[in-house]
Amino acid sequence: MLWYVGKRLLQSIVTLFIIITIVFSLLRLMPEEGYLGAAAEKMSAAQKEVYLTNLGLRDPLLVQLGNFYADLLQGDLGKSVTYRTDVPVVTILADKIMYSLFFGLGAVGISLLIGVPLGILMAQMKGRWLDRLGTGYIVFVVAVPAAVYYLVIQMYITDIFHLPMLFDEYKPITWLLPLTSMALAPTASYAMWMRRYMVDELNKDYIKLARAKGVKERTLMFSHVLRNAFIPMAQYLPATILFTITGSIYIESLYSIPGMGGLLVDAIQRQDNTIVQGLVLVFSSLGIIGLILGDIAMALVDPRIKLGKGESVR
Amino acid sequence: MKQIKSRILAIENLVITFTLRGQVLTAIRGISLDLYKGESLAIVGESGSGKSVLMKSIMGLLDKNGSIAQGQIIYNGMDLALFNTEQQWLTIRGKEIAIVTQDPMTSLNPLKTIGKQIEECVVLHQGLKGKAAYTETLKLLTDVGIDDVEKRYKQYPHEFSGGMRQRIVIAIALACKPKILICDEPTTALDVTIQAQILQLLKSLQQKYSLTIVYITHDLGVVAKVADRIAVMYAGDILEVGHTHEVFFNGKHPYTWALLSSLPQLGLKGQPLYSIKGTPPNLFKEIKGDAFAPRNPFALKIDYEVRPPFFQVSDTHFARTWLLDPRAPKVEPPATLQAFFEEGRQYANER
Repeated sequence: MLWYVGKRLLQSIVTLFIIITIVFSLLRLMPEEGYLGAAAEKMSAAQKEVYLTNLGLRDPLLVQLGNFYADLLQGDLGKSVTYRTDVPVVTILADKIMYSLFFGLGAVGISLLIGVPLGILMAQMKGRWLDRLGTGYIVFVVAVPAAVYYLVIQMYITDIFHLPMLFDEYKPITWLLPLTSMALAPTASYAMWMRRYMVDELNKDYIKLARAKGVKERTLMFSHVLRNAFIPMAQYLPATILFTITGSIYIESLYSIPGMGGLLVDAIQRQDNTIVQGLVLVFSSLGIIGLILGDIAMALVDPRIKLGKGESVR
Repeated sequence: MKQIKSRILAIENLVITFTLRGQVLTAIRGISLDLYKGESLAIVGESGSGKSVLMKSIMGLLDKNGSIAQGQIIYNGMDLALFNTEQQWLTIRGKEIAIVTQDPMTSLNPLKTIGKQIEECVVLHQGLKGKAAYTETLKLLTDVGIDDVEKRYKQYPHEFSGGMRQRIVIAIALACKPKILICDEPTTALDVTIQAQILQLLKSLQQKYSLTIVYITHDLGVVAKVADRIAVMYAGDILEVGHTHEVFFNGKHPYTWALLSSLPQLGLKGQPLYSIKGTPPNLFKEIKGDAFAPRNPFALKIDYEVRPPFFQVSDTHFARTWLLDPRAPKVEPPATLQAFFEEGRQYANER
């Protein structure tokens, strides 16, 4: 197991290294104005030159890359240029991440707590009213664009219950609607997949044998079916959780939550190269860590996945 | 016979129907069958003849759209046909009747060690716990011919070969300490050498655990090796039943003849292998007369009109064909079979 994790980590570091280098190189191809900020118009050509040299942008590319990695190892992602001039990128991210993380994890938590049991119940009562109700809900959430029901919730529910429209850190009641809105879609998807995997498992021969050997339906569900049905979901769960950090652009702007959601778009529009670079770094690391954790989670729950010597038997 | 046998299970005039898209399919059309203590009965028939459905109904494992429309299944003084709650069936499933399923590759839970899967039954049906259950599980593993049991106990199904997995499935069935063991095509998924081993194993376990075994199969080779009695099924009905040697060497129903003639072992060199013409009847429609009549070269006019009763051939041998009626014309079985029957009779006499 340790050997497997170690190997996967090493592979991921290499992948990350390649991604960062590519992003870094791509940004060097962008117009240099991005580093000058609002002052660009007032600067003379010579001033610009001095400024860029001071930033280290006139050094050979390899030296720049080396410096970038050296800073990175110290947790320094550079300073914002235009977004919040001269504030370290790390600080900007740290401010915003907490909001996105709170809402994201909250939504995932709620949707797991509701979606998974809902899926299980639907599978057990396949074809009966609960299953139909659940299917109706899933179809609704999948078919109606999120923007529509987000807006409807914000407009009408706030009206009916006399809730404030916008997010306020100090009023927990205002956290409720963004959380619920964000949880709707993942709840539907967990319920859908859980139902589907449960139904799949319930039709398998080993369930029939277990039933024939006199195992009670209830024991059968919990001791035999549940774990087997959850395996396919285990792989994606870590990545889903990690990606909550990136925030939801739509919800955050609807409720004016100062989260990560719109940051990348803003930074690109304002040509803030260092923030873009920092964000890409964060997002790609998340993706990679999510994949590793997913694989580890799979390996933990499924004994058929052989670890170590590169052999994998399915 | 060696001793007077006692009935352990009696099926009386059983009718099982399935509802499929609003249509009613009659899968079992009035079967009566007795099972005697300690015997091995083989139910043979082609795919779709209802062998598995019959056995599933004994354990209450019919699919949701299937139900017993008529008849009785008497076991231990109870009528299983009337059972309708899980509670009731739990007193039968595993405890009294256990099953060895067809495909060992898919019959085991891939995420549980085989030890745990066997132990589940030991705990459930023998009331053992902890160390005692563990020891019993190891003993069962040894009984089904698995070596290095302590290590094997901790392994998962994917670490076993097909034959080994079938042994595990058998161990699971034995762990229940059943009176009746149903083997649903126990060797279909295995290669020939392993087949022989598994059948041998089942035979020896039958002695050791004093089991009554029902084999469901379409492989007459298997039947010949293990069965005391044979029931030949076709289109949801039993057409002929008798001791193995009676059905094999003195078969009376044209369907039995047809089945035997299609055995490759009996085919003559240079001649095409016999195969039964036509297809089995549509069970959505009501069947008139003998279900096999349309495919039967010896069919009489009455075969299309009135369902034949069971004619008694000997104390233990019955066949449902009008050919046995005294008024019927004398019909000889096909030539290839006659030689086979003759050989069989001689063999039986020598013994």
